[in-house]
Amino acid sequence: MADVVFKHVNKLFQGGVVAVDDFNLEVHDKEFLILVGPSGCGKSTSLRMVAGLEEMTSGEISIGGKVVNDVPPKDRDIAMVFQNYALYPHMTVYKNMAFGLKLRKYPKAEIDKRVQEAANILGIQDLLDRKPKALSGGQRQRVAVGRAIVRKPKVFLFDEPLSNLDAKLRVQMRTEISKLHNRLETTMIYVTHDQLEAMTMGDRIVVMKDGKILQVDDPITLYDHPRNLFVAGFIGSPPMNFIRGRLTSEGGNLFFDEGSIKVQLDERLMTPQAQNYASQPVIFGIRPEDIHDPAETRDIRPNTLVKAKVEVIEPVGSESIWYLSSSHSTFIAKVNSHVKAEVNRDKEMVFNVSKAHLFDPATEQAIV
Amino acid sequence: MSFAGQTGLASRVGQGVVLSLLSVWLLAVTLPFVWVVLTSARSTEEIFRSPFGLPENFLDSLATNYSKAWIKSGFSNFFLNSVVVVFTSLGLLGLVACPAAYALARSRGRIYRYLLVYFLAGMMVPIQLLLVPLFFQYRDWSETLTAFLKPLFVLMGNDHWVVSLADSQPGLILLYVSLSLPFTLFVLQSFFRSLPTELYEAGLMDGCGEWRVFFSIMLPLARPGLITTGIFNFIGLWNEYFLALVFINSDQYKTLPLGLAAVSIQANYRSDFGLLFAGLVIVMFPTLVVYVMLQRWLTQGITVGALKG
Repeated sequence: MADVVFKHVNKLFQGGVVAVDDFNLEVHDKEFLILVGPSGCGKSTSLRMVAGLEEMTSGEISIGGKVVNDVPPKDRDIAMVFQNYALYPHMTVYKNMAFGLKLRKYPKAEIDKRVQEAANILGIQDLLDRKPKALSGGQRQRVAVGRAIVRKPKVFLFDEPLSNLDAKLRVQMRTEISKLHNRLETTMIYVTHDQLEAMTMGDRIVVMKDGKILQVDDPITLYDHPRNLFVAGFIGSPPMNFIRGRLTSEGGNLFFDEGSIKVQLDERLMTPQAQNYASQPVIFGIRPEDIHDPAETRDIRPNTLVKAKVEVIEPVGSESIWYLSSSHSTFIAKVNSHVKAEVNRDKEMVFNVSKAHLFDPATEQAIV
Repeated sequence: MSFAGQTGLASRVGQGVVLSLLSVWLLAVTLPFVWVVLTSARSTEEIFRSPFGLPENFLDSLATNYSKAWIKSGFSNFFLNSVVVVFTSLGLLGLVACPAAYALARSRGRIYRYLLVYFLAGMMVPIQLLLVPLFFQYRDWSETLTAFLKPLFVLMGNDHWVVSLADSQPGLILLYVSLSLPFTLFVLQSFFRSLPTELYEAGLMDGCGEWRVFFSIMLPLARPGLITTGIFNFIGLWNEYFLALVFINSDQYKTLPLGLAAVSIQANYRSDFGLLFAGLVIVMFPTLVVYVMLQRWLTQGITVGALKG
């Protein structure tokens, strides 16, 4: 039972490098919160400040209502899972998991009960007598998680725990950690640079860049309503297409005009803010999955067809990724893999403008 | 054994060369040793008759030579002195060097880097240069200590007592510890440095304080390093002759190398070579035992960091 609150937290590294810049955030009790961003964005530093492994330069962090700025890590009642597992090589799996309880002077029977319980949850009952050296990467990560859960801490911290695993195992562990969260109902803060991990696991996602929080939202809101260019490009794979051009006003309608691409905006985008950008440069954002082959879609709005040359086709199974170019821009479309196209031929594509975004090129903030 | 990129004859010739070189090396190392052991079971007359012959009365000569060496020539005393001096030194060295090396490895900041360089500089000074200043230093310290403890001596009714660091086992131990410290620190700190920081952090999260992390996590993991430096120091100190020669005069404090030298010098023209060889084996034997017992750790210690995992 604990929420974690950051109040104006700053972290300056030696030499004046700003790692975390005025970080304000409230992690709710029992929430699964993801910190995501490119490397060097301050996400791990923020997590380590919660753990007490990194001192903050200024600000305040509280766990369960108690300010922990001066509380040493061992007294914060939190557990952390590290990227490289950090299992004690000289101890067996059992001892690795029991170590924290032993230090806290739990009775032997209680330690044994908790270790067995955690081992059951994680399916590592048969490994308890082994040393970490004799385990595979996935097993080691399970033990590392086990070591964290036996303590039943107030908050779990995960620092890129799946980065060292191969792709298949990563997907498997992803769902297991999600299941674990549902089962334990404890606050979890999870750091990753992988937007897919963030999207699939988190209740809420914090997107960070250069030490700053850019947006905090649930995965779908983040996907549908990115507040700026960076979030729009970071969330989603393949990333959102950004096309530079101008807004023009014709007969009461707004058009995005790039020269070779000209599409009519729908009512959703025709907000007063957008009207202000008439005849101004803007960045038009549209996700690859919102660009269709005319054969795929029944509902084609007026003035949303764009002619472009198909340059490369990458079939990835149920869908194909098409790399297209108009005379001024290139963009990517994700279409049903059964739709056929020929490389190096012009093709008409439908832009689903109802899902498009507009960004200010100077501030990079979303206009609509 | 195979050589990458070579096949057939070339590879076999290469293999042959390597094997013969290794065989020569093996013989060069083992033959003198075997000769010393065999000769220690021969009488002096036999040795003079044919230096490289085999023992004629193996058990008789063995018993005579070793009992003479152990009892009459005082090797038992030398052995005990060596054990006391060397193992106390090793113990103290571990006590001082382990925490110091850990602190040097973990601490950031310029002052610790300078401190490490300061210690390493100790490895670059030849012992011969230190002898005279050390001798005077010991004399001064002894006088200061005597003056300091005088009231206590008077109280005990022994006001003629004096403290002497030179010609004493504590003095020799102090020398051994301080002169072995640079090398030990150098090896151990690189060992501690090779241990991932995350283990330290995992320890903190599990509820350790600094000391707990050191004793429960870092020290056990540094065991190969401890054993490596332990063996190197043991071999160095067990065979150490020069410092002992300068700082120890009394027969009662002499260590094995000094004792061996004394016996061979005293014997002069009437050399009892059987006895000398027995003494030599007594000197060599513990080193061999220690090495054989701990060699598994030694190779691990030397190759640390070279291999992943």
